[in-house]
Amino acid sequence: MSEVLALARGVYGVWLREITRATRDRGQMIGGVSRPLIWLLILGVGLNPYFRGEVYGQVNYVVPYTYLQFLFPAVIVLNIMYTSIQFAVSMIWDREFGFLREVLVSPMPRPLILLGKVLGGATVATVHGSLVLLLARFADVTLSLWQMATALGFMFLLSFGLTSFGIILAARVKSFEGFGVFSNTLILPLYFASSSIFPLDPSLTQTQAATSYPEWLVFLTRANPITYAVDALRGILIGFNQFAPMMGPVVVGGMAVVFFVVALIDFSRS
Amino acid sequence: MAPIVSVENVRASYGGTVALDGVSLEIAEGSSFALLGPNGAGKTTLVNILCTLRRPQGGRALVAGNDVVRAARRARRSIGVVFQNSSLDDRLTARENLDFHGLVHGMPARQRRLHIQRVLELVALTDWEDEIVRTFSGGMRRRLEIARALMHEPKILFLDEPTVGLDAQTRQQIWEHLDRLRTERRITVLTTTHYIEEVEGADLVCIIDHGKIIAQGSPEALKEAHGRRWLQADVSDTATRQAILAHYPHAQPLGPRSIVAPVGSLEAEHLQRGPFADKVTEIRYREPTLESVFLSLTGRDLRDRTDGEKEAQLAEGRRGGHR
Repeated sequence: MSEVLALARGVYGVWLREITRATRDRGQMIGGVSRPLIWLLILGVGLNPYFRGEVYGQVNYVVPYTYLQFLFPAVIVLNIMYTSIQFAVSMIWDREFGFLREVLVSPMPRPLILLGKVLGGATVATVHGSLVLLLARFADVTLSLWQMATALGFMFLLSFGLTSFGIILAARVKSFEGFGVFSNTLILPLYFASSSIFPLDPSLTQTQAATSYPEWLVFLTRANPITYAVDALRGILIGFNQFAPMMGPVVVGGMAVVFFVVALIDFSRS
Repeated sequence: MAPIVSVENVRASYGGTVALDGVSLEIAEGSSFALLGPNGAGKTTLVNILCTLRRPQGGRALVAGNDVVRAARRARRSIGVVFQNSSLDDRLTARENLDFHGLVHGMPARQRRLHIQRVLELVALTDWEDEIVRTFSGGMRRRLEIARALMHEPKILFLDEPTVGLDAQTRQQIWEHLDRLRTERRITVLTTTHYIEEVEGADLVCIIDHGKIIAQGSPEALKEAHGRRWLQADVSDTATRQAILAHYPHAQPLGPRSIVAPVGSLEAEHLQRGPFADKVTEIRYREPTLESVFLSLTGRDLRDRTDGEKEAQLAEGRRGGHR
């Protein structure tokens, strides 16, 4: 019993350190706040009037929501993606500045060290994601308590998977600079190709979709796991799904498990 | 009494370079053990193996009765480590660093609070408790790391070059403190260093070079067995050095412009009166110290003066050959 308690303290310690560091990292905080503001205030407000198909040209498919409502869940995912994947920098930092050794010579088993770190990173990312929720009223999204709770739970699961993914990247990148370039060339394409800023008509077959969108884009979007994360969050927050509602939780849960296991294998080997 | 640390024929290599070539040693509980050797001798590699950060590529190492490979977690429970390079989180405060350490060692809150106060007092950092470590000087960081390594009251303390970059006074304080701990709590201390004066007080000194232990014993025993009086002569140029070396077969080069020879094979008068008289700038005798023990065993000076030779050449190169 006392052994379990001791290990729980260790996980808490590793988690607490990540939280403490995050609250002292001004740059990351500013990014977490300014990013959703830019996306919603500028892109969201700017494109809002153009979103309804009936006014402009041929009507194929109408999303029964305003663009701000449509974009809102995607911006949450974007904020989580940035914070989670950037978390890898903390991992590289530990490795390069020797702090990792301090943890490795403690009696903590490796898997629990990693768990504490991932939980810490996922908590910070969830907090950054929920900063966006504060703008719900502005985006005309009304939320019940139950929706809030489900959304937070789902956001945490997504953060957990993406943080593990960041750690996998960190194990393969040697320097901070390398990682900066890497993460930017990864996050934005994944985000754009996730049906985050434009809808994909779910009623169209693959061939029909290919007439309104190039085939490669449809393929990319369908293959991109972030698509299902965005879709599930849309389902929770505005009740709109473009794909089967179960796809989101399954894909995101799968990511969390697979990425954490791979990160664990990497970490135990080092 | 069974030794608290025992190492049997441990080998390790980095790529093709051998770092440890069959090292065996034993450390008695409550003793102070010093591993002495130049940079690159394999000291840090051995410490890394003992604190389970590195697997040995052969041989066996036991720490407090636990195999460092098969029972690594149990071995880690009984050790405290101060690494050669800082392993503090410099974005946290001193107390947060210590609290983290307490947590990962599974200490309950009250015990953590108590021990944090105690170890901070010990290294005189109580006033800096809530300051971010980034603002600390090198000496303060070092002291904090030592405090941290002691916080969970380990049986064995590994100190890898613990006093590098500290002023003499702090170094003195740290050693006094470690000595007190050793007698009060029977804590065993393994130190690696290349500061000779720090190992004079150790119970057992182990001299390591090129991954091999070349001598082992108490400082007195080592001095008795290997310590010789040496004559050191500094000369004005390398050519003279070569000439002297050619002339006296027992003389050895030491850096670009010095030679040493065991007393007896070469006397000061030879140099003062001989053909080199005006080229010899200084002659002195070196009494038997652990430094001269190292010299006797390896033919080199401990503090990287062979590296110094290379560096001197490089520096000369940078100056474009001008003096």
